[in-house]
Amino acid sequence: MKYYFKLGFILLIFCVVASGILAYVNSLTSPVIAQRKAAEEIQAREALIPNAEFEERQSDQGMIYYVAKAPETGEILGYTFIAADLGYSSTVQTMVGVDSEFKVLGVQIIDQGETPGLGANCTQPIFTNQFSGMTLEDIYVDKDGGVVVSLSGATITSRCIANSLREGIIDVKDEPGLGGDQ
Amino acid sequence: MNFIKELSKGLIKENPIFVLVLGMCPTLAVTTSVVNALGMGFAATFVLLCSNIIISMIKNVTPSKIRIPVYIVVIASFVSIVDMVMAAYLPALHKNLGLFIPLIVVNCIILGRAEAFASKNNVIMSIADALGMGLGFTLSLSLVGSVREIIGAGTWLGFKVTPLTYDPMLVAILAPGAFISLGFLMALMNMLKEKK
Repeated sequence: MKYYFKLGFILLIFCVVASGILAYVNSLTSPVIAQRKAAEEIQAREALIPNAEFEERQSDQGMIYYVAKAPETGEILGYTFIAADLGYSSTVQTMVGVDSEFKVLGVQIIDQGETPGLGANCTQPIFTNQFSGMTLEDIYVDKDGGVVVSLSGATITSRCIANSLREGIIDVKDEPGLGGDQ
Repeated sequence: MNFIKELSKGLIKENPIFVLVLGMCPTLAVTTSVVNALGMGFAATFVLLCSNIIISMIKNVTPSKIRIPVYIVVIASFVSIVDMVMAAYLPALHKNLGLFIPLIVVNCIILGRAEAFASKNNVIMSIADALGMGLGFTLSLSLVGSVREIIGAGTWLGFKVTPLTYDPMLVAILAPGAFISLGFLMALMNMLKEKK
Protein backbone atom coordinates (compact mmCIF):
# COMPACT_ATOMS: atom_id res chain seq x y z
CA MET A 1 0.00 0.00 0.00
CA LYS A 2 2.67 2.45 1.09
CA TYR A 3 4.63 1.62 -2.07
CA TYR A 4 1.79 2.74 -4.31
CA PHE A 5 1.45 6.05 -2.47
CA LYS A 6 5.14 6.57 -3.04
CA LEU A 7 4.71 5.92 -6.77
CA GLY A 8 1.83 8.38 -6.94
CA PHE A 9 3.84 10.95 -5.06
CA ILE A 10 6.80 10.66 -7.43
CA LEU A 11 4.49 11.06 -10.41
CA LEU A 12 2.95 14.09 -8.71
CA ILE A 13 6.37 15.71 -8.34
CA PHE A 14 7.12 15.20 -12.03
CA CYS A 15 3.78 16.74 -12.99
CA VAL A 16 4.20 19.72 -10.67
CA VAL A 17 7.66 20.51 -12.07
CA ALA A 18 6.39 20.13 -15.64
CA SER A 19 3.37 22.40 -15.07
CA GLY A 20 5.58 25.00 -13.43
CA ILE A 21 7.85 25.10 -16.47
CA LEU A 22 4.89 25.24 -18.86
CA ALA A 23 3.26 28.07 -16.92
CA TYR A 24 6.49 30.03 -17.13
CA VAL A 25 6.88 29.51 -20.90
CA ASN A 26 3.23 30.38 -21.43
CA SER A 27 3.61 33.63 -19.49
CA LEU A 28 6.53 34.54 -21.80
CA THR A 29 4.93 33.61 -25.12
CA SER A 30 1.22 34.43 -24.74
CA PRO A 31 1.66 38.23 -24.88
CA VAL A 32 3.85 37.84 -27.99
CA ILE A 33 1.22 35.63 -29.65
CA ALA A 34 -1.63 38.01 -28.81
CA GLN A 35 0.39 40.99 -30.03
CA ARG A 36 1.28 39.29 -33.29
CA LYS A 37 -2.35 38.33 -33.97
CA ALA A 38 -3.52 41.88 -33.31
CA ALA A 39 -0.77 43.30 -35.55
CA GLU A 40 -1.72 40.89 -38.32
CA GLU A 41 -5.36 41.97 -38.16
CA ILE A 42 -4.50 45.66 -38.19
CA GLN A 43 -2.25 45.10 -41.20
CA ALA A 44 -4.98 43.20 -43.06
CA ARG A 45 -7.51 45.94 -42.27
CA GLU A 46 -5.22 48.70 -43.48
CA ALA A 47 -4.50 46.85 -46.70
CA LEU A 48 -8.24 46.73 -47.42
CA ILE A 49 -9.09 50.34 -46.55
CA PRO A 50 -5.94 52.47 -46.53
CA ASN A 51 -5.60 55.82 -44.77
CA ALA A 52 -8.53 55.39 -42.43
CA GLU A 53 -9.17 55.46 -38.72
CA PHE A 54 -10.83 52.35 -37.39
CA GLU A 55 -13.44 52.26 -34.68
CA GLU A 56 -14.37 48.97 -33.09
CA ARG A 57 -18.06 48.12 -32.70
CA GLN A 58 -20.15 45.07 -32.00
CA SER A 59 -23.23 44.11 -33.98
CA ASP A 60 -26.50 42.83 -32.47
CA GLN A 61 -25.45 39.33 -33.52
CA GLY A 62 -22.29 39.72 -31.47
CA MET A 63 -19.93 40.12 -34.41
CA ILE A 64 -17.05 42.55 -33.98
CA TYR A 65 -16.71 44.92 -36.90
CA TYR A 66 -14.74 48.06 -37.58
CA VAL A 67 -15.98 51.32 -39.03
CA ALA A 68 -13.39 53.02 -41.20
CA LYS A 69 -13.55 56.80 -41.15
CA ALA A 70 -11.54 59.40 -42.99
CA PRO A 71 -9.19 60.94 -40.40
CA GLU A 72 -10.06 64.60 -41.08
CA THR A 73 -13.68 64.71 -42.14
CA GLY A 74 -15.00 61.73 -40.17
CA GLU A 75 -16.78 60.55 -43.28
CA ILE A 76 -17.49 56.80 -43.29
CA LEU A 77 -15.28 55.09 -45.86
CA GLY A 78 -16.38 51.55 -45.20
CA TYR A 79 -16.44 48.66 -42.80
CA THR A 80 -14.22 45.67 -42.15
CA PHE A 81 -15.01 42.47 -40.31
CA ILE A 82 -13.89 38.86 -40.09
CA ALA A 83 -16.32 36.44 -41.70
CA ALA A 84 -16.03 32.86 -40.49
CA ASP A 85 -17.81 29.69 -41.51
CA LEU A 86 -17.18 25.98 -41.49
CA GLY A 87 -15.66 24.87 -44.78
CA TYR A 88 -14.79 21.34 -45.82
CA SER A 89 -12.39 20.46 -43.02
CA SER A 90 -11.84 23.65 -41.03
CA THR A 91 -13.24 27.02 -40.12
CA VAL A 92 -12.30 29.47 -42.85
CA GLN A 93 -11.77 33.01 -41.60
CA THR A 94 -11.88 35.81 -44.10
CA MET A 95 -11.05 39.44 -43.49
CA VAL A 96 -13.53 41.48 -45.52
CA GLY A 97 -13.58 45.17 -46.40
CA VAL A 98 -16.71 46.83 -47.82
CA ASP A 99 -17.27 50.44 -48.76
CA SER A 100 -20.05 52.65 -47.35
CA GLU A 101 -22.44 51.26 -50.00
CA PHE A 102 -21.61 47.72 -48.87
CA LYS A 103 -19.79 46.92 -52.08
CA VAL A 104 -16.82 44.59 -51.48
CA LEU A 105 -13.44 46.34 -51.55
CA GLY A 106 -11.40 43.24 -51.02
CA VAL A 107 -11.09 40.03 -49.07
CA GLN A 108 -8.19 38.17 -47.54
CA ILE A 109 -8.25 34.63 -46.15
CA ILE A 110 -6.55 34.90 -42.77
CA ASP A 111 -7.00 31.38 -41.43
CA GLN A 112 -7.94 28.07 -43.01
CA GLY A 113 -7.05 24.39 -42.86
CA GLU A 114 -8.63 23.11 -46.06
CA THR A 115 -7.31 20.32 -48.27
CA PRO A 116 -3.91 21.24 -49.76
CA GLY A 117 -4.13 21.50 -53.54
CA LEU A 118 -7.90 21.96 -53.52
CA GLY A 119 -9.63 24.08 -50.87
CA ALA A 120 -6.36 25.55 -49.63
CA ASN A 121 -6.05 27.37 -52.96
CA CYS A 122 -8.67 29.79 -51.61
CA THR A 123 -5.83 31.93 -50.21
CA GLN A 124 -4.51 32.63 -53.70
CA PRO A 125 -5.17 36.04 -55.26
CA ILE A 126 -6.76 34.46 -58.34
CA PHE A 127 -9.65 33.44 -56.11
CA THR A 128 -9.79 36.30 -53.60
CA ASN A 129 -9.39 39.14 -56.13
CA GLN A 130 -12.62 38.27 -57.90
CA PHE A 131 -14.67 39.48 -54.91
CA SER A 132 -13.64 43.11 -55.33
CA GLY A 133 -16.54 45.20 -56.53
CA MET A 134 -19.21 42.59 -55.86
CA THR A 135 -22.47 43.54 -54.20
CA LEU A 136 -24.60 41.47 -51.87
CA GLU A 137 -26.62 39.94 -54.73
CA ASP A 138 -23.49 38.81 -56.60
CA ILE A 139 -21.90 36.86 -53.77
CA TYR A 140 -23.17 33.39 -54.55
CA VAL A 141 -20.98 30.68 -56.07
CA ASP A 142 -21.69 29.96 -59.73
CA LYS A 143 -23.50 26.72 -58.88
CA ASP A 144 -25.93 28.71 -56.72
CA GLY A 145 -26.58 31.23 -59.47
CA GLY A 146 -24.07 33.88 -58.44
CA VAL A 147 -20.94 35.24 -60.05
CA VAL A 148 -18.31 33.81 -57.68
CA VAL A 149 -16.17 31.40 -59.71
CA SER A 150 -15.60 28.45 -57.39
CA LEU A 151 -12.27 26.70 -57.04
CA SER A 152 -12.21 23.52 -59.08
CA GLY A 153 -12.80 20.56 -56.82
CA ALA A 154 -13.56 22.76 -53.83
CA THR A 155 -17.11 23.99 -54.17
CA ILE A 156 -17.74 23.51 -50.45
CA THR A 157 -14.86 25.81 -49.51
CA SER A 158 -15.88 28.40 -52.10
CA ARG A 159 -19.50 28.30 -51.00
CA CYS A 160 -18.58 28.63 -47.33
CA ILE A 161 -16.52 31.74 -48.05
CA ALA A 162 -19.27 33.29 -50.18
CA ASN A 163 -21.94 32.50 -47.59
CA SER A 164 -19.94 33.82 -44.65
CA LEU A 165 -19.24 37.01 -46.58
CA ARG A 166 -22.90 37.53 -47.35
CA GLU A 167 -24.00 36.87 -43.78
CA GLY A 168 -21.39 39.27 -42.44
CA ILE A 169 -22.41 42.03 -44.83
CA ILE A 170 -26.09 41.60 -43.95
CA ASP A 171 -25.17 41.66 -40.30
CA VAL A 172 -23.36 45.00 -40.60
CA LYS A 173 -26.01 46.42 -42.92
CA ASP A 174 -28.74 45.68 -40.39
CA GLU A 175 -27.00 47.72 -37.73
CA PRO A 176 -29.06 50.71 -36.58
CA GLY A 177 -27.74 53.88 -38.12
CA LEU A 178 -25.82 52.13 -40.88
CA GLY A 179 -28.66 50.41 -42.70
CA GLY A 180 -28.87 50.42 -46.44
CA ASP A 181 -32.60 51.24 -46.31
CA GLN A 182 -32.20 54.73 -44.88
CA MET B 1 33.63 5.79 -31.86
CA ASN B 2 30.41 4.61 -30.27
CA PHE B 3 28.99 8.11 -30.50
CA ILE B 4 29.36 8.06 -34.29
CA LYS B 5 27.81 4.60 -34.45
CA GLU B 6 24.72 5.66 -32.48
CA LEU B 7 24.48 8.81 -34.56
CA SER B 8 24.60 7.12 -37.94
CA LYS B 9 22.32 4.15 -37.28
CA GLY B 10 19.21 6.32 -37.57
CA LEU B 11 20.02 7.25 -41.16
CA ILE B 12 19.91 3.86 -42.89
CA LYS B 13 20.33 0.81 -40.67
CA GLU B 14 17.58 1.69 -38.18
CA ASN B 15 15.83 4.39 -40.18
CA PRO B 16 12.73 5.25 -38.12
CA ILE B 17 10.35 5.42 -41.09
CA PHE B 18 11.56 2.88 -43.63
CA VAL B 19 13.00 0.25 -41.29
CA LEU B 20 11.43 0.66 -37.84
CA VAL B 21 8.17 1.93 -39.41
CA LEU B 22 7.45 4.20 -36.46
CA GLY B 23 5.61 7.52 -36.44
CA MET B 24 3.45 6.74 -39.47
CA CYS B 25 0.73 9.21 -38.49
CA PRO B 26 2.81 12.40 -38.95
CA THR B 27 4.63 10.79 -41.89
CA LEU B 28 1.45 10.30 -43.86
CA ALA B 29 -0.22 13.52 -42.75
CA VAL B 30 2.41 16.25 -43.16
CA THR B 31 4.36 15.16 -46.23
CA THR B 32 2.18 17.13 -48.66
CA SER B 33 5.11 19.48 -49.25
CA VAL B 34 8.82 19.54 -48.51
CA VAL B 35 8.52 22.61 -46.30
CA ASN B 36 5.94 20.92 -44.07
CA ALA B 37 8.06 17.77 -43.92
CA LEU B 38 11.16 19.71 -42.89
CA GLY B 39 9.24 21.68 -40.27
CA MET B 40 7.71 18.57 -38.78
CA GLY B 41 11.07 16.79 -38.88
CA PHE B 42 12.91 19.54 -37.05
CA ALA B 43 10.15 20.00 -34.46
CA ALA B 44 10.11 16.26 -33.75
CA THR B 45 13.93 16.16 -33.62
CA PHE B 46 13.96 18.97 -31.08
CA VAL B 47 11.39 17.23 -28.88
CA LEU B 48 13.23 13.92 -29.26
CA LEU B 49 16.54 15.50 -28.29
CA CYS B 50 15.11 17.25 -25.20
CA SER B 51 13.12 14.25 -24.03
CA ASN B 52 16.05 11.85 -24.54
CA ILE B 53 18.33 14.11 -22.49
CA ILE B 54 15.86 14.50 -19.62
CA ILE B 55 14.81 10.85 -19.61
CA SER B 56 18.37 9.55 -19.53
CA MET B 57 19.05 12.01 -16.68
CA ILE B 58 16.10 10.89 -14.57
CA LYS B 59 16.33 7.18 -15.37
CA ASN B 60 17.73 6.36 -11.92
CA VAL B 61 14.99 8.16 -9.97
CA THR B 62 12.07 6.88 -12.05
CA PRO B 63 10.51 3.70 -10.65
CA SER B 64 10.05 1.31 -13.55
CA LYS B 65 6.34 0.84 -12.75
CA ILE B 66 5.47 4.45 -13.57
CA ARG B 67 8.11 5.12 -16.23
CA ILE B 68 5.64 5.36 -19.13
CA PRO B 69 3.46 8.11 -17.55
CA VAL B 70 6.60 9.98 -16.56
CA TYR B 71 7.94 9.78 -20.14
CA ILE B 72 4.62 11.02 -21.48
CA VAL B 73 4.66 13.99 -19.08
CA VAL B 74 8.21 14.90 -20.17
CA ILE B 75 7.40 14.54 -23.88
CA ALA B 76 4.07 16.38 -23.64
CA SER B 77 5.73 19.28 -21.81
CA PHE B 78 8.34 19.71 -24.53
CA VAL B 79 5.69 19.49 -27.24
CA SER B 80 3.70 22.26 -25.54
CA ILE B 81 6.83 24.38 -25.28
CA VAL B 82 7.57 23.89 -28.99
CA ASP B 83 3.95 24.73 -29.81
CA MET B 84 3.97 27.97 -27.82
CA VAL B 85 7.41 29.13 -28.94
CA MET B 86 6.59 28.38 -32.59
CA ALA B 87 3.27 30.24 -32.40
CA ALA B 88 5.06 33.26 -30.95
CA TYR B 89 8.17 33.43 -33.12
CA LEU B 90 7.58 31.32 -36.27
CA PRO B 91 3.92 32.08 -37.03
CA ALA B 92 4.00 31.07 -40.71
CA LEU B 93 5.35 27.60 -39.97
CA HIS B 94 2.98 27.27 -37.04
CA LYS B 95 0.02 27.95 -39.30
CA ASN B 96 0.99 25.02 -41.54
CA LEU B 97 1.96 22.60 -38.81
CA GLY B 98 -0.34 23.78 -36.04
CA LEU B 99 -2.55 20.74 -36.29
CA PHE B 100 0.31 18.26 -36.21
CA ILE B 101 2.42 19.60 -33.37
CA PRO B 102 0.17 18.17 -30.63
CA LEU B 103 0.47 14.87 -32.49
CA ILE B 104 4.20 14.73 -31.71
CA VAL B 105 3.12 13.63 -28.21
CA VAL B 106 1.88 10.33 -29.61
CA ASN B 107 4.68 10.01 -32.17
CA CYS B 108 5.92 6.54 -31.32
CA ILE B 109 9.48 7.39 -32.37
CA ILE B 110 9.87 9.64 -29.36
CA LEU B 111 8.33 7.29 -26.83
CA GLY B 112 10.05 4.38 -28.55
CA ARG B 113 13.50 5.93 -28.24
CA ALA B 114 12.81 6.94 -24.64
CA GLU B 115 11.86 3.38 -23.75
CA ALA B 116 14.36 1.51 -25.93
CA PHE B 117 17.38 3.76 -25.65
CA ALA B 118 17.40 6.78 -23.35
CA SER B 119 16.19 4.87 -20.30
CA LYS B 120 19.16 2.50 -20.58
CA ASN B 121 22.00 4.74 -21.74
CA ASN B 122 23.83 7.83 -20.54
CA VAL B 123 23.16 11.41 -21.63
CA ILE B 124 25.89 11.62 -24.31
CA MET B 125 24.77 8.42 -26.05
CA SER B 126 21.13 9.52 -25.81
CA ILE B 127 21.99 12.78 -27.54
CA ALA B 128 23.68 10.85 -30.36
CA ASP B 129 20.68 8.54 -30.64
CA ALA B 130 18.21 11.45 -30.69
CA LEU B 131 20.18 13.39 -33.32
CA GLY B 132 20.62 10.33 -35.53
CA MET B 133 17.00 9.26 -35.29
CA GLY B 134 15.76 12.83 -35.69
CA LEU B 135 17.92 13.38 -38.76
CA GLY B 136 16.81 10.06 -40.24
CA PHE B 137 13.19 11.00 -39.60
CA THR B 138 13.61 14.47 -41.12
CA LEU B 139 15.41 13.17 -44.23
CA SER B 140 12.88 10.40 -44.79
CA LEU B 141 9.99 12.83 -44.37
CA SER B 142 11.56 15.20 -46.90
CA LEU B 143 12.06 12.33 -49.31
CA VAL B 144 8.38 11.35 -49.15
CA GLY B 145 7.48 15.06 -49.24
CA SER B 146 9.63 15.65 -52.34
CA VAL B 147 8.06 12.78 -54.25
CA ARG B 148 4.55 13.93 -53.38
CA GLU B 149 5.17 17.63 -54.01
CA ILE B 150 6.87 17.08 -57.38
CA ILE B 151 4.24 14.66 -58.66
CA GLY B 152 1.25 16.31 -57.03
CA ALA B 153 1.99 20.00 -57.42
CA GLY B 154 4.90 20.15 -59.88
CA THR B 155 6.99 22.15 -57.42
CA TRP B 156 9.87 21.50 -55.04
CA LEU B 157 10.22 23.73 -51.97
CA GLY B 158 7.68 25.96 -53.72
CA PHE B 159 9.68 26.34 -56.97
CA LYS B 160 8.33 25.05 -60.26
CA VAL B 161 10.49 22.09 -61.35
CA THR B 162 8.40 20.30 -63.93
CA PRO B 163 7.90 21.37 -67.58
CA LEU B 164 5.00 23.75 -68.14
CA THR B 165 3.07 21.07 -70.00
CA TYR B 166 3.04 18.80 -66.93
CA ASP B 167 -0.39 18.68 -65.34
CA PRO B 168 0.10 17.86 -61.63
CA MET B 169 -1.54 14.67 -60.39
CA LEU B 170 -3.46 15.97 -57.41
CA VAL B 171 -3.90 12.51 -55.94
CA ALA B 172 -0.24 12.52 -54.86
CA ILE B 173 -0.81 15.26 -52.28
CA LEU B 174 -4.09 13.82 -51.08
CA ALA B 175 -4.28 11.00 -48.54
CA PRO B 176 -4.02 8.07 -50.99
CA GLY B 177 -0.85 9.56 -52.46
CA ALA B 178 0.77 9.39 -49.04
CA PHE B 179 0.25 5.65 -48.79
CA ILE B 180 1.28 4.99 -52.39
CA SER B 181 4.47 7.09 -52.21
CA LEU B 182 5.46 5.60 -48.86
CA GLY B 183 4.88 2.07 -50.15
CA PHE B 184 7.00 2.59 -53.24
CA LEU B 185 9.82 4.27 -51.32
CA MET B 186 9.83 1.50 -48.73
CA ALA B 187 9.99 -1.13 -51.49
CA LEU B 188 12.86 0.77 -53.10
CA MET B 189 14.75 0.88 -49.79
CA ASN B 190 14.31 -2.86 -49.31
CA MET B 191 15.43 -3.53 -52.88
CA LEU B 192 18.61 -1.52 -52.37
CA LYS B 193 19.27 -3.28 -49.09
CA GLU B 194 18.93 -6.75 -50.58
CA LYS B 195 21.34 -5.95 -53.37
CA LYS B 196 24.12 -5.24 -50.89
